[in-house]
Amino acid sequence: MTAVKTTEAAAPAGDLPPALPPAVTGGAPKRRRGGAFDRALPYLLLAPALIAILWLIGWPVVSVFVTSFRQLNLGELVRGEIVWTGFDNYVTVLQDERFWEVALRTVLFTASVVVVSVGAGLGIALLMRVLTPWVRIALQIAMLCAWAMPILASTTVYQWMFDQNYGILNKTLVQLGFDSFAGYSWFSSGTSTLSVVGLLIVWQAIPFLAFSLYAGLVGIPRDLYEAAGIDGATGWQTFRAVTWPEIKSLLMMVTFLSTLWDFKVFTQIWVFREGGPSGESTTLPVLQYLEGIAKSHFGVAAAISVLMMVILGLITFQYLRKLLQTEEGKI
Amino acid sequence: MKGWKGLAAGAAALAVAVSGCGTSTNSGSDAETKEITVWLMDGSAPTTLTDALNKEFEDANGIKVKYEVQKWTGIQEKLTTALASSTPPDVIELGNTQTASFAEQGTLADLTADAEQFNGGEWLGGLKDSLTLNGKQFGVPFYAANRTVIYRTDLLEAAGVAKAPTSRDEWIDAIGKLKAANASNPDFQALYLPGQSWYFLLSLIWDEGGDIAKLDNGKWTGTLDTPQAKAGFEAYKALYDASAEKKVPADIDEAKPQQMEVFGTGNVGMMVGLPWELAGAIKAKPELEKTTSAFPIPSKKAGESAPVFLGGSNLAIPASSKNADAAKKYLALLSSKKYQDMLAEGGAVPGTSKDTAKLQTTAIGKAMADSSPNGKVTPVTPKWAAVEAGQNPLKDALTAYLTGAKSLDQATKDASEAITKAMA
Repeated sequence: MTAVKTTEAAAPAGDLPPALPPAVTGGAPKRRRGGAFDRALPYLLLAPALIAILWLIGWPVVSVFVTSFRQLNLGELVRGEIVWTGFDNYVTVLQDERFWEVALRTVLFTASVVVVSVGAGLGIALLMRVLTPWVRIALQIAMLCAWAMPILASTTVYQWMFDQNYGILNKTLVQLGFDSFAGYSWFSSGTSTLSVVGLLIVWQAIPFLAFSLYAGLVGIPRDLYEAAGIDGATGWQTFRAVTWPEIKSLLMMVTFLSTLWDFKVFTQIWVFREGGPSGESTTLPVLQYLEGIAKSHFGVAAAISVLMMVILGLITFQYLRKLLQTEEGKI
Repeated sequence: MKGWKGLAAGAAALAVAVSGCGTSTNSGSDAETKEITVWLMDGSAPTTLTDALNKEFEDANGIKVKYEVQKWTGIQEKLTTALASSTPPDVIELGNTQTASFAEQGTLADLTADAEQFNGGEWLGGLKDSLTLNGKQFGVPFYAANRTVIYRTDLLEAAGVAKAPTSRDEWIDAIGKLKAANASNPDFQALYLPGQSWYFLLSLIWDEGGDIAKLDNGKWTGTLDTPQAKAGFEAYKALYDASAEKKVPADIDEAKPQQMEVFGTGNVGMMVGLPWELAGAIKAKPELEKTTSAFPIPSKKAGESAPVFLGGSNLAIPASSKNADAAKKYLALLSSKKYQDMLAEGGAVPGTSKDTAKLQTTAIGKAMADSSPNGKVTPVTPKWAAVEAGQNPLKDALTAYLTGAKSLDQATKDASEAITKAMA
């Protein structure tokens, strides 16, 4: 009974918007007089969440940054010693010509994977709009399955598919008459290895991209297309004039996210050939793993991490700037 | 806004302070040990041994043994992480080539003073060297093993090879006969030799008189580009090419897939392997027990066996172990004659007993005992670990040479330079 009463009492209160403005104007001076505690209260209430976020996200970042200025090998780690070495780790990394080679490779790899996966995702999203419902549902289910597959499982399946002697790809190609693919190794060079890894990553990324972009496309009013049709616009013109402006910002966002994800891909590359042959498919995350975990030079690995963040920052600079501008504009 | 910033700074400071508290390290041993954690490697000690050992230790000391078997693949990384944690295992098994680097970093307990209770007088020389740094011992030898050529007696007989080859030429000849006799099976491998079996490559390089690296005035230089080492690479290619029509991929090693699993399929005539690999194949296919035997890796000189890489393991106690005293008792028990005999019986050269009578009873044990006096190791220096961990230049050179991606001169030159750089 009490519960009912409270609701009844609350309902009329909610029906009195005209009474609110005076209450607020009357309340403001009062609160100012209430002192430091009242002013701090909202922030104090936010504090637990803020501390949790800083702990979980901020601290590891700070820790990596701090570690990059230390000599931290296995010995220092186990003994708990702190040895500061200033910029030595950065000098070591930047003087190594291999770092530059690997950094360039990583950027090119990321760029091609992002372009292909976002392009394919957009293509499928556009396709989904024109498919009959049951074909579209079949496609969506297929993509959901691909998306739900654990990374290591799909990587293993790809390894089997591309296996030199027993892989289904080589066998199929031989059946089709391309005899030179009998026993062909897809992992004989870095470019070839990274192409296979890239294909796998694109395959894994397409479902998310296609679904996100399709969600954006669905939101575009049908009348705009009808109007364009009446005006006699071709398919391409419709895309340029109607679709593109509507999904441009969404496309920017998924491209940005894809860049972040694809830049730090480690599992797939390592599982395929551990960055081989002869280190030719080594990317920055793999290099970081080799320095940090394989050689136990954690300080150097941390320096590579920081440099990776710098490179990512440079690549996504334009987007970040726009993002911040919009935010400020809104505020 | 000012308030918000101040609060954020305060929260950050708090987060830093609180998380900083957790990193203090504990060491030494507790009086009350209830359980010790023991990490041994996959295939190292037979289960009969570990079961009996753990039971005897638990009954005698009232301390539980948490016994965990680890895989060799990626063990370096796993040990690094475990040793840096606040609760490391109390007894670990280390490959003999890894021990020096872990000891140098101060991660292992100094056991020099306790050598007596670990049967110190009978330690296997090669292993003792590998765990000694600056005159101090940082472990206890566990066991050693070396590779031999494991073969199918029935298949060799059917192919008309009457006796085990005793020179490299005879060996290649036997491979050819084996291949011809099984030509109807497209998946048959006369010798299963993956492209990156680098321990076997070492045998061939040493047999030709070459080596991996040499030490001059405290500086290591890669020597894979010498004519002798190149001859070793050429011998590898000759064997690799002779083995089968359908070649084993040049970019995999003997662990991926496990060569014992491949041998267990029955489509393989020979493999260069360790006793535990044969045991694994027999476990998967019991009928192999009666039809397998082994001979030492033949030298290019007729009648001799090639030098072999003396693989093996040491046992160590992490410096940060909280149960060091109990761990020492465990090692002392394991070093006793009873368990060393069980190791020999299981097909390994025991680390703390000179008695190998029990080993000589099997064909593979005899082949191993015959070639083990010729055993060699990789450069004994903490710097070697950097070569072996991660991307091994020897493996890269083999793949590049076998696939034709690089010429022999280029592949060996690159590998030599990579080794010099890694050991600098």
